[in-house]
Amino acid sequence: MRLDRILAISKKNLRSLRRDRRTFAFIFMVPFMMMLVFGYTFGGEVKDINVYIVNLDGGSPQGSLSWAIIDELNSTETLNIIAIYTSEDAALDPINLTVQKVEKAEAWGALTFGKNFTNETVANFLALAHGQPFEPSNMTLHLDGTNPNVASAVTVAVNGAVQQVLKEKYNATPAVAVEKDMVYGEDTDFIDFFAPGIMGLAGLLVTFMLTIVTFVRERSSSTLERLLTTPVTEGEVVTGYAISFGILALAQSAVILVTGVLLFNIQIEGSFLVALLVIFLLGVGSMGMGLLLSSVAKNELQAVQFIPLVFIPSILLAGIFWPLEAVPELLRPISYFIPLTYAVDGARSVMIRGWGVDQIWVQVAVLTLFAIVMLILSTYMLKRRK
Amino acid sequence: MAEREGCPDADGFAVRTDKLRKEFGDIVAVNDLNLRIKKGALYGMIGPNGSGKTTTIKVLMGLQKPTAGSCSILGERVPVRKGIAMIGYMPQEMAVYYDLSIHENLELFADLYSVGKEDFAKRERELLEMVDLAERRDSSVSHLSGGMRHRVSLACTLVHDPEVLFLDEPTVGVDPELRAGFWDYFARLRRRGKTIVMTTHYMDEAVRCDVVGMMRGGRLIAEGTPDELMRRTSSKNLEDAFLAFSREGKA
Repeated sequence: MRLDRILAISKKNLRSLRRDRRTFAFIFMVPFMMMLVFGYTFGGEVKDINVYIVNLDGGSPQGSLSWAIIDELNSTETLNIIAIYTSEDAALDPINLTVQKVEKAEAWGALTFGKNFTNETVANFLALAHGQPFEPSNMTLHLDGTNPNVASAVTVAVNGAVQQVLKEKYNATPAVAVEKDMVYGEDTDFIDFFAPGIMGLAGLLVTFMLTIVTFVRERSSSTLERLLTTPVTEGEVVTGYAISFGILALAQSAVILVTGVLLFNIQIEGSFLVALLVIFLLGVGSMGMGLLLSSVAKNELQAVQFIPLVFIPSILLAGIFWPLEAVPELLRPISYFIPLTYAVDGARSVMIRGWGVDQIWVQVAVLTLFAIVMLILSTYMLKRRK
Repeated sequence: MAEREGCPDADGFAVRTDKLRKEFGDIVAVNDLNLRIKKGALYGMIGPNGSGKTTTIKVLMGLQKPTAGSCSILGERVPVRKGIAMIGYMPQEMAVYYDLSIHENLELFADLYSVGKEDFAKRERELLEMVDLAERRDSSVSHLSGGMRHRVSLACTLVHDPEVLFLDEPTVGVDPELRAGFWDYFARLRRRGKTIVMTTHYMDEAVRCDVVGMMRGGRLIAEGTPDELMRRTSSKNLEDAFLAFSREGKA
């Protein structure tokens, strides 16, 4: 192994990229766009969900509990109350009317308060105080569950409003209070969770794709053959490739982090450098994987077909958008075979939990192993070509 | 190892093949070829497409494993490692980096052969003049014409001043004036004791070689100086001589 030859190969790769402006732009625009698009679409909360309310409650001399809840719901941004029907609208058959609205998808939900909602609730409190059994008063929520995010946002809003009003009016707190103490991620938004994922995904995708494209071109234009007739060894070629694409992955991560900090105010609790180390290892490994697969492929088309094959499981199973716990158990073993899983987990621990190398050593070790194995295998594949 | 040590370098052969054979499936590309090329020779390989010229060179370069037989360059058995820096190879394909400039291509190959900075600067000037591309030094290869790319490829082969040169059709697509320039340069290299092995389709070029090897069906059907070959077949030119040897071989 000679460093000057290794660096000559790295320099060649980086120089070709610099001249290829479109590819150069692609390398830096792709992660930027991903941050922008995913960051804004996933980062936002669900707002302005259309609902109807039917309030048949007569209230009590002390006031109306149902109207208080409705006022509370009105004060949040989650729901957009289209109309409120009361007992005065009995001619319209408001319960059926609003349920139909939901069925016709004109609204996501219809909330109905029964005739004696306030009185029943007050009676329940008294029964509770005297240790007597009681039937809980209820309000009915007709909900369109097509979109689980919307459905759960409505449920959370309604429950929250009820708790809030009971607490204000009757000083009623739930029997059990769960004390929440955020160990990590005190002010974590979705974008904070998401940014390390994008870093890993972009690092994987760009190094993998560029390696395939560069290497296939190297083969089809016979420059690879020519390289192999010079003193440069297969190991040096592979190492040179690894360095150039590792550097690229680093530059890219830096762009993502700067974009993240400036545009989305993401937090970086731990060391910037440790996060970059994780991405560097991933970049080297996926470069090796690209080399390996493109030397298995017989032509350019076959090589390009590997891109979705690697990309799709990585985007779905590596814990970028949702945690591994949300991956079906049957597929979870695959998650643990995807190097991106470890990179994302490692980078996330550094950025949100503020962990150092000593705490993410498992992820670092797995990624190092992945990189080394890929480098050795691709060197071997190159040697075998002869 | 014994074979490697007992090298035929003492014979003074720059290139030697012994019963070299290369098969691709049913096709025999090189058929028990016994080649001896002396040091300092300008050796021209001629023959129709598919006669095994390029395959022979690729096997010598270690790019393809021979099916049987052996070969050596400067006494070291192929695949050559120790003496690899003494060999220069110009493939038939352009095999240069299109996204790099001429200078960057040359620098890459110079770095791979560990050519010193000063040596490189000097040789780069000399080579760019020879291939008439001095003014295009910093142009991207993708902006050059086919012939120019070919010249860049030749310059890349020569940048480390090799002792033995393998040039696979070095003058294809090069205009006559520049071809003459190439030949002047080859002559200069020969005077400095370099060995040149080249394949060519141009008979007027083959005439300028010291020794011509005529190949057909993976075999050497005739070998000798151009004059010898023409005399033996009483031909006026090498083309007729080749056809005569071809007929002889078939009969």
